Amino acid sequence: MRLADVVRRWRARPVAIAPPPPGPPGVEAAARRNRGSLQLRHVDAGSCNGCELEIASIFSPVYDAERFGIRLEASPRHADGLLVTGPVTRNMAGPLRKTLEAVPRPAVVVALGDCARNCGVFAGAYGVEGSVTDVVPVDLEIPGCPPDPATIITALRGLAGT
Amino acid sequence: MSGALLVATPLVGLAAACVGAVAPARIRTPLSSALTIAACGCGLAAAAGVLHSGHSAVLYTNRLLPLAGFSLVLDRFGALFVGISAVVGICAMVFRLGYDGHGLASRTASCVLPLFITTLLLVPAAASVTTFLFLWELMAITSLLLVLVDHRRRSEVQVAAQWYAVMTQFGAAALLVGLVLLATHAGSQSFAAIAATSAHFPAWVRGTAFVLVVIGFGSKAGMVPLHVWLPRAHPEAPGPVSALMSAAMVNLGIYGIVRVGDQLLGGGPAWWWLLVMALGALSALFGSLHSATSTDLKRLLAYSTTDNVGLMLLGVGASGLFAATGHRSLALVALVAALLHVVFHAVFKGSLFLSASSIQQATGTRDLDQLGGLLRSMPITGPLFLVGGLTISALPPLCGFVSEWLLLQAMLHGLPSSNPALAIAMPIGVGALALTGGLTALTFVKAAGIGLLGQPRSEAAAEAGEVRRSMWVGTGILATLCLVFGVAPFLVIPAAVDAARSVTGARVPDPLVGGWQIGLSGIHGVLAPGLLALGLFVAISLVAGARRVVQRGAVRRTEAWGCGRELQTARMEYTATAFGEPLTRVFEDVLSPAHDLDVSHVAESRYYVEAARFHTTLDDSFERRFYRPAARGLNWWGAVARRVPNGSVHRYLAFGLVALIVVLVVVA
Repeated sequence: MRLADVVRRWRARPVAIAPPPPGPPGVEAAARRNRGSLQLRHVDAGSCNGCELEIASIFSPVYDAERFGIRLEASPRHADGLLVTGPVTRNMAGPLRKTLEAVPRPAVVVALGDCARNCGVFAGAYGVEGSVTDVVPVDLEIPGCPPDPATIITALRGLAGT
Repeated sequence: MSGALLVATPLVGLAAACVGAVAPARIRTPLSSALTIAACGCGLAAAAGVLHSGHSAVLYTNRLLPLAGFSLVLDRFGALFVGISAVVGICAMVFRLGYDGHGLASRTASCVLPLFITTLLLVPAAASVTTFLFLWELMAITSLLLVLVDHRRRSEVQVAAQWYAVMTQFGAAALLVGLVLLATHAGSQSFAAIAATSAHFPAWVRGTAFVLVVIGFGSKAGMVPLHVWLPRAHPEAPGPVSALMSAAMVNLGIYGIVRVGDQLLGGGPAWWWLLVMALGALSALFGSLHSATSTDLKRLLAYSTTDNVGLMLLGVGASGLFAATGHRSLALVALVAALLHVVFHAVFKGSLFLSASSIQQATGTRDLDQLGGLLRSMPITGPLFLVGGLTISALPPLCGFVSEWLLLQAMLHGLPSSNPALAIAMPIGVGALALTGGLTALTFVKAAGIGLLGQPRSEAAAEAGEVRRSMWVGTGILATLCLVFGVAPFLVIPAAVDAARSVTGARVPDPLVGGWQIGLSGIHGVLAPGLLALGLFVAISLVAGARRVVQRGAVRRTEAWGCGRELQTARMEYTATAFGEPLTRVFEDVLSPAHDLDVSHVAESRYYVEAARFHTTLDDSFERRFYRPAARGLNWWGAVARRVPNGSVHRYLAFGLVALIVVLVVVA
C-alpha cells in the first residue's frame, strides 16, 4: 500500500447522512425520549439476510451509525426497541412477541425492509404468518429491498433524535 | 434447687419414655412430647440456676450402676451444654407434634426419643468415667435407633445406620481406652480425682489419652477424617432427630475435648493443640467445600455441621495453644469464641435442619434440583430457612457473625507473637476461617437461591404448601433466637465466659468488655451488634423508601428473558448442580467427582444420537480412598478367617488342645 493511500484512508470521514424528515407523532415522542441514544435489539423474523447485510454496513466506518447514537444491543432488557427484518414466519411469530414483551416500556418497533412492511416477494408463502404489523404494533417503517444504509440511518436518526 | 431439678430431669425423661412405650397411639406423640419438654425445662432450669449462682449441682447414687455408682455434677461448663440441649430439645419436640412420616410416631421411636434427649441433658453433667461412658453409650444407641426408625421403607437408612454404628462404636472404644488409662493412673474414676492428679501423670500417658479422647470425641463431633457417618446419618434421620443430632449431640464432642483437655488434663503441650487446630481447619475446609457442592439439602446441612465443628475445634485448639504459650487472656477469648460458636451453631443449625425437614415434608424431596419457588408457597418456613442461612453465613445482625468475629479477633491478635508455633498456626487458622466463611456464604446462596427462589422444578415443589403450625413454631423459636442473640449477645456472653473460666480455672481479668458493645480488653476493635443492627435497619428502610419514591409507574412482570424460546420451562432454570460445578472443577483434586456419560444411538445409524444422559456423583473422598478399602480389607480378612472354624468338632477340640499347650508352655 502506498503511503498516499494510507494518508487518504486515514483522513477519510464517514459519508454525510441527510437529516430525518419530520416523522409521525410516535417517532417524535421517541426522539424526545431517547435524546441521542437509541439502543435496538435486532430480530430476524425470516429475512433473506439482505437487510442484515445493510444493517451490518451501517455500523461500518463508511456510514458509522454510532455517531448518531444508534447501537445494536444484545439483550432486549437493555434496549429501547426492536429492529425487525423479514416477513414474520410462523416459527418466529412467537419469539418476536416474546422479545417485544421483554423490552422495557415504552418500546419502539422498527420494520426494516419491504418484507417487514408487507411481506415483499414472500407474500402468501406457506410459512409466512404476515408482515410485522400483523404480529406487533409498528412505529416506524423503512422501505426498500433492501433499504440502502443511508436511508436506514436517516430513518433511525428520527427515532434517536439526532 | 438446681440439685432437685437435676434429679427431676432424668425422672421426667424416663416417664416420657414410659409413656411413649405404653400410651395408646392417639395420645402417644403429644403426651410423650409434653413430658420430654418438661424434662428439657427441668434441665434448662437446672442449667440456668448453676450458671447464675455458680454452685454446682451434685447427684450421687450407688444404686443405679453396680460397683461404680452413678455420679452427676453439673458445673457451669456443663450447664452451658445442658442449656443448649434443652433449648434444642424443646424446639424439636414442638416441631415433632406436627411432623409426620419417617416412622417417628411409632411406639419404639416414641420411647427412645425422650431417652435420647435425656442423655443429651445428662452427658454434660457426668462426673465419673463409668457414668460418662454409660450415658455416652446410651446416647449412641438411642440415636442409632432413631436413625433407623424408617428402615423398612428406605434401604439407604440401613446403610447410613451401619456407618453411624461403626463410627460411633469406634469412637467409643477410643474413648474407653483413653478415659480408663486416665482413671487407672489417677487411682480413681471420678473426674475430680483425675483433674487433681493428672499433672503428675507421665507425659506419654497424658499424650496418648489426649489423642485417644480427641479421636473418640472427634468421631462424635463429625471431625474430618472421622466424619463419614455424618453426611449419611443426618439426612436419613427423621427431621427432629437430625436437628437434635446436629445441633445438640455433635456439641458434646467439643464438650468432651474441652472437658478432658482443659480440665481433666489441665492443658497440655503445644502439639496437642496444634493437632486439634489442624483437624479443625481440615474439617472446616473439607466440610464447607462439600456443602458448597452438595445438592441434597440435608446432606448439605450435615457437611456444614462438619464445617462448623471445624471452626469450634479451631477455637478450642487456638485457646489451648495460647494457654500453652502463656497468653492466658487470649486463651480465654478463643475458648469463649468457640463456646459461643457452639451455642449459636446449635441455634442456627437447629432452625436450618427443622426448616429443611419442613421442606422435605411439604415436597417429599430433599433434592435441591427438584425444589424451587418455596418462598411463595411456604411463606413462613421459607423466611425461617433464610434467617438460618443468613446466620450461618455470619452476616450481621445475626448471631453467627458475633462468634466468628470473636474467633477471628482472637486468632488475629495471636499474630504478632514471637512464638514460632503461634506464628505459623494462627495465619493458617485465619485463612481457613476466611475461606470457610466464603464457601459457607456460597453454599447458602445456593440453597436459598435454588430452593426458595425461581420457579418450582418439580410437580411436588409446585404443590407444596405451608406446614402445620407446631412445625414452624418449633423452627421459629430457634430462628428468633438467631436474631436475639445477634442483636444482644450479652445475653449469652457472660454465661460462656463463666463456663470457660470454670473449665480452665484461668485467673485472668474478664477479657471481654460486655454490655451492648463487645470489646477485647487491651485490644483495639469493638463490636456493637445492637448499633450494627440499628444501622442496617435504618439503611435498609432508607433504600426501600428511596426506591418507592424513585420508582415511577407500576411494575410490569414478564417471563425471564430466554432468547424468545417458546418452550421455556423450569427445566431451563439454573440448578444446584450447575451452581456448584465451577467449584467442583476448581477443587477437582480434593473432591474427585465421577462423571458418567451414557449416549445411545438410533438403530439405523451410529451418526444419530437417540438420547444422552449425563450423571455426576460426588462421593466423599475420605470414604472412597480410605474407608471403602479398609472395609474391603476387613471383608477379605473375614473370608480368610472363616476357613479356620469350618464346623468340624474335631478341629475345635484340636484348637483347644493346642491353646492349652501354648498357655502351659508360656505360663510355665
